[in-house]
Amino acid sequence: MATPEVHHLFHAPIADHSFSSDKKTLAVARENNVELYQQSGNKFTLSDELKGHEKTVTSVDIAPNSGRIVTCSQDRNAYVWEKTPTGWKPTLVLLRINRAATFVRWSPSEQKFAVGSGARVIAVCYFEEENDWWISKHLKKPIRSTITTLAWHPNSVLLAAGSTDSHARVFSSFIKGIDTRPEPSAWGERLPFNTICGEYLNDTAGWIQGVAFSPSGNALAFTGHDSSVTVVYPSAPEQPPRAMLNIATRLLPLNSLIWNGETEIIAAGHDCEPFRFHGNENGWQLAGSLEKKAGEAGGAREESALNMFRQMDLKGQAQADTKLKSTHQNTVHTIRAHEEANGAVRSFSTSGVDGRVVIWTA
Amino acid sequence: MSQINYRTINIDALDPESSANFPMESLLPATLPQAASASDAANAATQVRQMLRGGDPEGALRTVLDTAPLGGDDRAKEVHLATVIDVLQGIRQGEMTRILEGVCSGDGGAERADCLMKYLYKGMSSAAPSSGAQSPKKSVSPQDTGFSQIQARNLGEGGGGQQMSVLLSWHERLVDIAGTGSIVRVMTDRRTV
Amino acid sequence: MSQSLRPYLQAVRSSLTAALTISNFASQTSERHNCPEIEANSSPEILLNPLHISRNENEKVKIEPSYNSVRISIRIKQADEIEHILVHKFTRFLTQRAESFFILRRKPVEGYDISFLITNFHTEKMLTHKLIDFVIEFMEEVDKEISEMKLFLNARARFVAESFLTPFD
Repeated sequence: MATPEVHHLFHAPIADHSFSSDKKTLAVARENNVELYQQSGNKFTLSDELKGHEKTVTSVDIAPNSGRIVTCSQDRNAYVWEKTPTGWKPTLVLLRINRAATFVRWSPSEQKFAVGSGARVIAVCYFEEENDWWISKHLKKPIRSTITTLAWHPNSVLLAAGSTDSHARVFSSFIKGIDTRPEPSAWGERLPFNTICGEYLNDTAGWIQGVAFSPSGNALAFTGHDSSVTVVYPSAPEQPPRAMLNIATRLLPLNSLIWNGETEIIAAGHDCEPFRFHGNENGWQLAGSLEKKAGEAGGAREESALNMFRQMDLKGQAQADTKLKSTHQNTVHTIRAHEEANGAVRSFSTSGVDGRVVIWTA
Repeated sequence: MSQINYRTINIDALDPESSANFPMESLLPATLPQAASASDAANAATQVRQMLRGGDPEGALRTVLDTAPLGGDDRAKEVHLATVIDVLQGIRQGEMTRILEGVCSGDGGAERADCLMKYLYKGMSSAAPSSGAQSPKKSVSPQDTGFSQIQARNLGEGGGGQQMSVLLSWHERLVDIAGTGSIVRVMTDRRTV
Repeated sequence: MSQSLRPYLQAVRSSLTAALTISNFASQTSERHNCPEIEANSSPEILLNPLHISRNENEKVKIEPSYNSVRISIRIKQADEIEHILVHKFTRFLTQRAESFFILRRKPVEGYDISFLITNFHTEKMLTHKLIDFVIEFMEEVDKEISEMKLFLNARARFVAESFLTPFD
């Protein structure tokens, strides 16, 4: 396994990051702005700043084909940024929400995007030609708390959402005139807007931090604040799922996850390192960390026996260290597929509170 | 009627749509077992104590964790907590790790570990006031010392130390086996014991 | 060091590690606000079950976690009245300087002597495991400090008494 490629951009939390399709441009959300980095050699240098939000930017996403950037922030707004010869031009989106916007993602078709919010709604936004603006329709019921995360089904109609009410849900975001009627699947056949295709709750009921559809779209994985990953295989519309598998780990909570093929999930979170899960409909298990641990002996400093025993006695730890052994030095917020082919991830990128973006080989 | 001070009414509490009125029961899974009553808990307690006397501490711990009244009322939970603490105190230091490994493995082992962790925290939170009532309160000072903080405090080394140190050593061993994830689940799980 | 101090601190350490998994969260009750949810206490689902760790009746820690903040309250051992007074003075000294002591809460939670409030902004700026180290170190130092002050106070009282009583010798 190759060593991960670490880009330490600054000393501030990165709420979200996104690469352009050619992987040359990197957008990161830093406080109230979004910074754009260009690759030069093997480094990323700051090239542009998208200014306009008044509060912490919570999420950013670059559409792979059109190159449009969508950002959203705790100031309740979302902007779509388009590149013009004079620079990036923002367009305000009519979200009609009165609380923070928490998460945004382009649909695979790039015709729509969804914005999660603290107002207990998901705004599904699309472009209206005649008025030349982005407008939104709200997915409301039965969300009871802040939306923390969203994920699109490959057919651009189904949308998975995780919320602090501990439920992961699958909605239909079908908009007439924008979407083509989707193929019937295990999630549902007729899918008018705001159909609830699934609603899932763990036994241990943690806030949902990350959701993802498998590459085929026939399984949903979500991770919660209860340090577990749950995989759901739907059976048929309106039926209980064929299998709902919960993997309770001994780790700290995981914040974000991606699928690698249909039998592998990579997730990262408060343990500051990515973990791999393997499994299928019959069972899932934690396979281990993707981090190559530095030699324990090399990193440890020599300490006097007295000091060592005192540390063990007083603090219950053997040695004091300010540097973590993991590549990320603080919580990982986002994990995204970097290079993939036919659903198999060759490399993926992570970003976190420590201001680092790391590219890993899967 | 006119006595109500309208400025002090918490209007959020009256709005069914307000986030202050979040329906907490929606966080309980559908698989929650039937509510157990105090007598059920007492029956379980007799059975478990018999196993403990019969020299099967591992089986006793396993049973007591499997029969936890997650959906029971406070009384049942109280009775069951006392049983769990009895079992934990009835197991010798040297055997803890071996028994824990046995209990936390196999089918449903992870749930038992999480359940035990809940009981350890519950034991540490609830034992203090109850034993506080038993221990004789030392009168602090006859005259007012002028410290606003002075309330009916019982000074001294404090009671309940013996039971706490048993719970603490169980806690340490359980964290070794079940990891911090298990503590995280104690916090998130709304099915309290 | 007494027998049960190590498992006690160990339990506090692992509980804090689990509780300090906090992240940014904008208020869902007030527009454009971002406040520690454990203090705002406006939506019950954002708060988690509190954890209690106690060594005995008079030494315990309460950890109250929420989505973006954790409140840690410590009850310091007070074996007699002098220690009680010393603890009171000591914690008062600290809480009055709370603004330069980022994580300290100005007022302890009822039933406890001192409280810390750690928010996601603290864990973003500071290393989480170092914050935990700090709390642990505080817990062990404060006991030492109090007993040292008590010894000092007793020595001083003896000296004062002696010098007052010399004329009557």
